[in-house]
Amino acid sequence: MSSQTPTTHGDELYLTDDPIIEMRDAEVVFEMDRGVSRVLDNVNLDVERGEILGIVGESGSGKSMLASAMLDAVVDPGVLSGSVTYRPEGRDPVDVLELDKRELKRLRWEDISMVFQGAMSSFNPTMGVREHFVETLEAHDADVDVGLSRARELLADLYLEPDRVLGSYPHELSGGMQQRALIALSLVLEPDVLVMDEPTAALDLLMQRSILNLLEKLRDKYDLTMVFITHDLPLVAELADRLAVMYAFELVEIGPTAEILESAAHPYTRALLNATPNIEADLSEMRAIEGSAPDPVDVPAGCSYHPRCPIATDNCIDVDPEYRSVSGDHGVACHHYEEAADAVPFAGERINEASADGGATIGKGGD
Amino acid sequence: MSEPLISLEDVEVHFEASQGLFEFGAPDVVRAVDGISLDIEERDVVALVGESGCGKTTLGKTAIGLQRPTAGSVRYRGQDVWDAKDDVGDVEIPHEEIRRSLQIIHQDPGSALNPNRRIRKILEAPLKKWQPQLSAGDRRREVYGMLERVGMAPADDYASRYPHQLSGGEKQRVALVRSLLMDPDLILADEAISALDVSLRVEMMDLMLDLQEQFDTSFVFVSHDLSNARYLAAHSGGKIGVMYLGQLVEVGPAEEIIRNPKHPYTKVLKWATPDLRVDKESEGPPVRKVDIPDPENPPAGCRFHTRCPEAREACTRENPSKITISPGHEVACFLEVDDHEYWESPELVDNDDDRSTGDTTAAEFSAD
Repeated sequence: MSSQTPTTHGDELYLTDDPIIEMRDAEVVFEMDRGVSRVLDNVNLDVERGEILGIVGESGSGKSMLASAMLDAVVDPGVLSGSVTYRPEGRDPVDVLELDKRELKRLRWEDISMVFQGAMSSFNPTMGVREHFVETLEAHDADVDVGLSRARELLADLYLEPDRVLGSYPHELSGGMQQRALIALSLVLEPDVLVMDEPTAALDLLMQRSILNLLEKLRDKYDLTMVFITHDLPLVAELADRLAVMYAFELVEIGPTAEILESAAHPYTRALLNATPNIEADLSEMRAIEGSAPDPVDVPAGCSYHPRCPIATDNCIDVDPEYRSVSGDHGVACHHYEEAADAVPFAGERINEASADGGATIGKGGD
Repeated sequence: MSEPLISLEDVEVHFEASQGLFEFGAPDVVRAVDGISLDIEERDVVALVGESGCGKTTLGKTAIGLQRPTAGSVRYRGQDVWDAKDDVGDVEIPHEEIRRSLQIIHQDPGSALNPNRRIRKILEAPLKKWQPQLSAGDRRREVYGMLERVGMAPADDYASRYPHQLSGGEKQRVALVRSLLMDPDLILADEAISALDVSLRVEMMDLMLDLQEQFDTSFVFVSHDLSNARYLAAHSGGKIGVMYLGQLVEVGPAEEIIRNPKHPYTKVLKWATPDLRVDKESEGPPVRKVDIPDPENPPAGCRFHTRCPEAREACTRENPSKITISPGHEVACFLEVDDHEYWESPELVDNDDDRSTGDTTAAEFSAD
């Protein structure tokens, strides 16, 4: 995906061959009584055309702010700086932060669409589902009949009965059905990119996994690029081609999903993987992450993870680590990433055993 | 064996669905819990898993005497909970004592704590009511001691805060402390960790397990996540019960359910549990439909037959009864009965491959 010759020069690590979105030095700052709150700190990120990128972080790590920044949707009094470039196929690149209000509105539905957590608050409860589609189509001067037939197809792709759903009010649908109808709505104007912020939170695990499965099919059918933002690393790991891990308003690690799962290089990513309740892992090997995430007004100097990190040195307290190359397109912001694997070993058998036999048997031992 | 702490026998909880103003005739009935028997021992952990609308919360609330069953009985150490409440027959354990011994923590700790009160006030309230003999100083010591035990130190700092000044995990700990101050025998944790970040869940469950050791408390843990259910139940030698549309379809020791699931629905839940395997092929869910049927109008026969990948014609007629696989492991599925007519009956085929337009009516796709 990225440059053929791995380099230790940080700037090139977040580059991909054919980016559809480029973020550079993105920063969001809120002025507060207690001080300046930097809720997105110098984020550089490419979203590759056609990929599913998973962005993972705990609550309050800045991952939703990253999504808002991507669409220039940061709410007042937040101030966004840096640049976001959208590169549609066959058109000139668009500087998202320079668009006026009308252009931005078009971009947000027709080029890059967004789905939020909690479908119920995205729908107008007094309007039928069909009216939501019609209103959206009319607001963007699209042909309503053509649009509605596309809507029917999208709903059927999402295992919904098109006529029944279009004829319902939002409250008449279950949570899982609402969320799927919302995904169909977000795709009705044929955007290239779908950005989803916790789109399946508050749903059953079974419905979450079913929706993820459908998203993968939609990506292939409609040539979409997807950005999936969540706190749930194991969930998105099933779907994403690449994972980007956020900690304290920064990206600390990015790489292909399999590589992150097999050989995460940041001590935080490794701790996060070990802290995940895992049905295959041995019980004794799941453990919580020590300490807690920092306050945005008072992010530690140097590497922001150093107070919780088992291999932190004086250097980590003084110097904010640059991106380094672990291998190819796998990058990490850590001074001591080479020691991370020994310092934070993985919950033993997870990788070896699972990949050895395709997972038919479950880890031995237990209690 | 001694008497179980809580014993549910053939419990049914049927709700009448609300009727429109001008609708007459028999009201629709939702069978939230339909004929479940379950024992909860002292220092036991029972994890109830299933999709939303399967009745797991209703069953949990019935077990702690918050929901009156429409049929069947709930006993606390042999005393019928609702007889005690209604003062029927010889009441050996007064209802007040039962009520105090059975506690609940909710899914959303934010809305369970009074936003206008400091943590100290919130936690002293139950002590004032149940242990009025304590002096103000004793109460404070008790509250501070508990806060420190759940890792909220310095206690006097936390005690002087308001709920909005705590993180989600801290609020849930306060809710847990509040229920533990009642010195309960059983706590119902209703999706108590679902609102927490994935990374904080193990920590919260570890805390619950520690406290169970220290206070000899039993837990009923309601969750839609099989891996969390397993973490808590397996660590404490407890059991997992799998519910589907008001019925317990499989129950057994935690590790046995995870390693050797028998019911097709348990296998579906296991499929839905992310496991961080690197090279897992992503297949669709092993169900014929992704949406749960309307609980007001559950399918006849085995309730899972409309979604079950193994369903045959026999499943549409007869609801399988529970059979024992191994000690403590029971399942309700014809697949486990060698000589059942199931094996001779034809497989169910959906008319349309499209999962949205299966064989029957729109009722199957209703809201839960």
